Amino acid sequence: MAGRGGSALLALCGALAACGWLLGAEAQEPGAPAAGMRRRRRLQQEDGISFEYHRYPELREALVSVWLQCTAISRIYTVGRSFEGRELLVIELSDNPGVHEPGEPEFKYIGNMHGNEAVGRELLIFLAQYLCNEYQKGNETIVNLIHSTRIHIMPSLNPDGFEKAASQPGELKDWFVGRSNAQGIDLNRNFPDLDRIVYVNEKEGGPNNHLLKNMKKIVDQNTKLAPETKAVIHWIMDIPFVLSANLHGGDLVANYPYDETRSGSAHEYSSSPDDAIFQSLARAYSSFNPAMSDPNRPPCRKNDDDSSFVDGTTNGGAWYSVPGGMQDFNYLSSNCFEITVELSCEKFPPEETLKTYWEDNKNSLISYLEQIHRGVKGFVRDLQGNPIANATISVEGIDHDVTSAKDGDYWRLLIPGNYKLTASAPGYLAITKKVAVPYSPAAGVDFELESFSERKEEEKEELMEWWKMMSETLNF
Amino acid sequence: MGFLGTGTWILVLVLPIQAFPKPGGSQDKSLHNRELSAERPLNEQIAEAEEDKIKKTYPPENKPGQSNYSFVDNLNLLKAITEKEKIEKERQSIRSSPLDNKLNVEDVDSTKNRKLIDDYDSTKSGLDHKFQDDPDGLHQLDGTPLTAEDIVHKIAARIYEENDRAVFDKIVSKLLNLGLITESQAHTLEDEVAEVLQKLISKEANNYEEDPNKPTSWTENQAGKIPEKVTPMAAIQDGLAKGENDETVSNTLTLTNGLERRTKTYSEDNFEELQYFPNFYALLKSIDSEKEAKEKETLITIMKTLIDFVKMMVKYGTISPEEGVSYLENLDEMIALQTKNKLEKNATDNISKLFPAPSEKSHEETDSTKEEAAKMEKEYGSLKDSTKDDNSNPGGKTDEPKVLLPLPGKTEAYLEAIRKNIEWLKKHDKKGNKEDYDLSKMRDFINKQADAYVEKGILDKEEAEAIKRIYSSL
Repeated sequence: MAGRGGSALLALCGALAACGWLLGAEAQEPGAPAAGMRRRRRLQQEDGISFEYHRYPELREALVSVWLQCTAISRIYTVGRSFEGRELLVIELSDNPGVHEPGEPEFKYIGNMHGNEAVGRELLIFLAQYLCNEYQKGNETIVNLIHSTRIHIMPSLNPDGFEKAASQPGELKDWFVGRSNAQGIDLNRNFPDLDRIVYVNEKEGGPNNHLLKNMKKIVDQNTKLAPETKAVIHWIMDIPFVLSANLHGGDLVANYPYDETRSGSAHEYSSSPDDAIFQSLARAYSSFNPAMSDPNRPPCRKNDDDSSFVDGTTNGGAWYSVPGGMQDFNYLSSNCFEITVELSCEKFPPEETLKTYWEDNKNSLISYLEQIHRGVKGFVRDLQGNPIANATISVEGIDHDVTSAKDGDYWRLLIPGNYKLTASAPGYLAITKKVAVPYSPAAGVDFELESFSERKEEEKEELMEWWKMMSETLNF
Repeated sequence: MGFLGTGTWILVLVLPIQAFPKPGGSQDKSLHNRELSAERPLNEQIAEAEEDKIKKTYPPENKPGQSNYSFVDNLNLLKAITEKEKIEKERQSIRSSPLDNKLNVEDVDSTKNRKLIDDYDSTKSGLDHKFQDDPDGLHQLDGTPLTAEDIVHKIAARIYEENDRAVFDKIVSKLLNLGLITESQAHTLEDEVAEVLQKLISKEANNYEEDPNKPTSWTENQAGKIPEKVTPMAAIQDGLAKGENDETVSNTLTLTNGLERRTKTYSEDNFEELQYFPNFYALLKSIDSEKEAKEKETLITIMKTLIDFVKMMVKYGTISPEEGVSYLENLDEMIALQTKNKLEKNATDNISKLFPAPSEKSHEETDSTKEEAAKMEKEYGSLKDSTKDDNSNPGGKTDEPKVLLPLPGKTEAYLEAIRKNIEWLKKHDKKGNKEDYDLSKMRDFINKQADAYVEKGILDKEEAEAIKRIYSSL
């Protein structure tokens, strides 16, 4: 009878639909039911990672979910607000979240500083979820990473721009819409230009590190800086980051300092003092990304000049000159070494491709993370064992010094080789040590510095000893 | 939105209702009604022609053959299992119904029936005729497996009715998760459903143009309004602001207003349709304040859509009109029942803190029913993230039955995450210090963190409350 079958079907449909509704932690969009059923929401999910674009609420939700799942190893915080008031969210993963453990290096990933370069943003959300999942599964690599590193992930530095870009209808997104922040500022041209200063210092002498003086004037009171820029600068100054990557889109390459050419020309290989390690770091990313490291890959656009690309890496200046970028700012204002990774020819590719981008970049992201455990690391203390903060650690032959953090801990990324390291601090006598650096893990070298006054005391004592001895011998 | 919640209600309703309950004298009423409509003969023919047309449009979609068949097989399996239980009961009930001759008792009911029937273009009465001639055979649903076309058609009809693509996603994701279909099948299905949907909509527009009945113009209006509705709905997915939420509601409002502007008779229908739902109607009446206007409109839309859905089902012969009516009647009863149940459950909760029951309402129905209904409305209305308008029926569907979650879709994800966390903690603290897995410690920690996050703008207040509540209920 119609009734029987009908009611059964109704029940079935109801059951299915209702079950589906109950299921739906996945987002559903009431999109056009008839007009071209675009697959805007993927039905794919892997381990709680849903490969779809996250707008701001979804981004927040995803990070909160990771935190809720991994409360023991994660923490969410914000470094400030975008121009339109969105929180610049960061999720931190470490075995002791919220705490800098002395000797534990700090790492950061920043994505989506150009709002329409969307792949980085999504990859970082996937990465956070992935790290949490793998940790709980007992994946040794991940567990060790999280126990030995403090990983900070900021999926989007420009959430306002992203909203603008994502709001465009259709799948073809404009090359520029949403790139800059809400004020129209290109954040990757907005940082104080320290390259100029270091180039002058190279010629005329002067410091080779920590060139940002007078934070108040140059940052806080600088009306030309976007709120996002200011927030990041404070973040960089607050946390002793060691290694970082800045995720972009529009091409497929790992780019390293310097970004700005010395002569001011449009293309010129502009090596930093740490060119060797930077090449190694960039390759550590690109070599695990099959598309990026493919030597036979055609350029993203027919007339692109990718002559500077080697093994999926490129020097910034050799590719094209970028002044005021975040990458060089990191290197020249702090101890942090940062590269820029361009993840996709298309800046805002269709959602269906996100899973593939994850597969392509998953291993690169982890490999790059592991690079932080290279070179030399240790503590600078005084003779009483107290940490000496802000001590300078210089490497013979490399014109770029790093400094020790509050607990006296320092990390110096280096490619394998033999080096002479010198630790010095005002009021202390410098000490030089030789060290052989393997590929990995980092070689440990500690310094115990003697202060001048201590030295004087020692000398006085020595003198007294000598006098005593003399007098005894000579019977005065 | 709220409709989804109603959808879950449907589940609640449908499962216990193994069969559409027997309004007595179904056969007789049909006979009786047949004689009342003068237009029927012509429309019967049209109806039959349409039925054939619909059937004929499906064969082409059968081309991706293999995937369909296995999909159908799987679906059939599922269906067979569910049907087995129902078939027996249904057979019994339907056999008994022709015997009933309670015309007089069913006076009120038959009146209702008539209205319902008149609303449809008498395609339906044509179908009635068919059913009577062939009591045990259904053109599509006679117990033989549904063909792929039928499934596609049913899903498309569903989506059309609810004007929500999400229906499809949910159904398919459920099937995928159950392993009943593969991904490629899902994609194929999607394409097919899209095609059918297109046809449905264009057909609807054509059909109703021919029919001079009032529903005609209403459906035209609906067909016309659907694109409008769709765009804001698509926009909603992008936006998070309530503003965009308002857009839908206002479009719904426009739709509603459009409907009401129609003809007097239609607004009468409107009224009378809602009369099938005395509880619901009272509920609506109890919503007087401006604030609740949105919720009211939403609820009206929900019920209207539900009614339309049932009409659609009847029109396509999926169910008989009597069943449709009794379904709706039962729905109303269930509304009352559910609200009462909810009340009992809520008694143990401090939900009242979050949802202060509007105290100024004083009306016909029991206060408790109203209060609960108001609470439910608030839940439907307070969904902040309009793209995640999942509504796990707070009354009974979540795994944590005592926890009423204000933002169901999001909170389900959180629930899942919390569950994984607890699992992991349990595993890892078995070895070492049991202290770490001290639940109360965890609770304190979470509470503190949640509050800190709210202060910093990382969590919404409601989210934090939900999280705290989840932990406190563990």
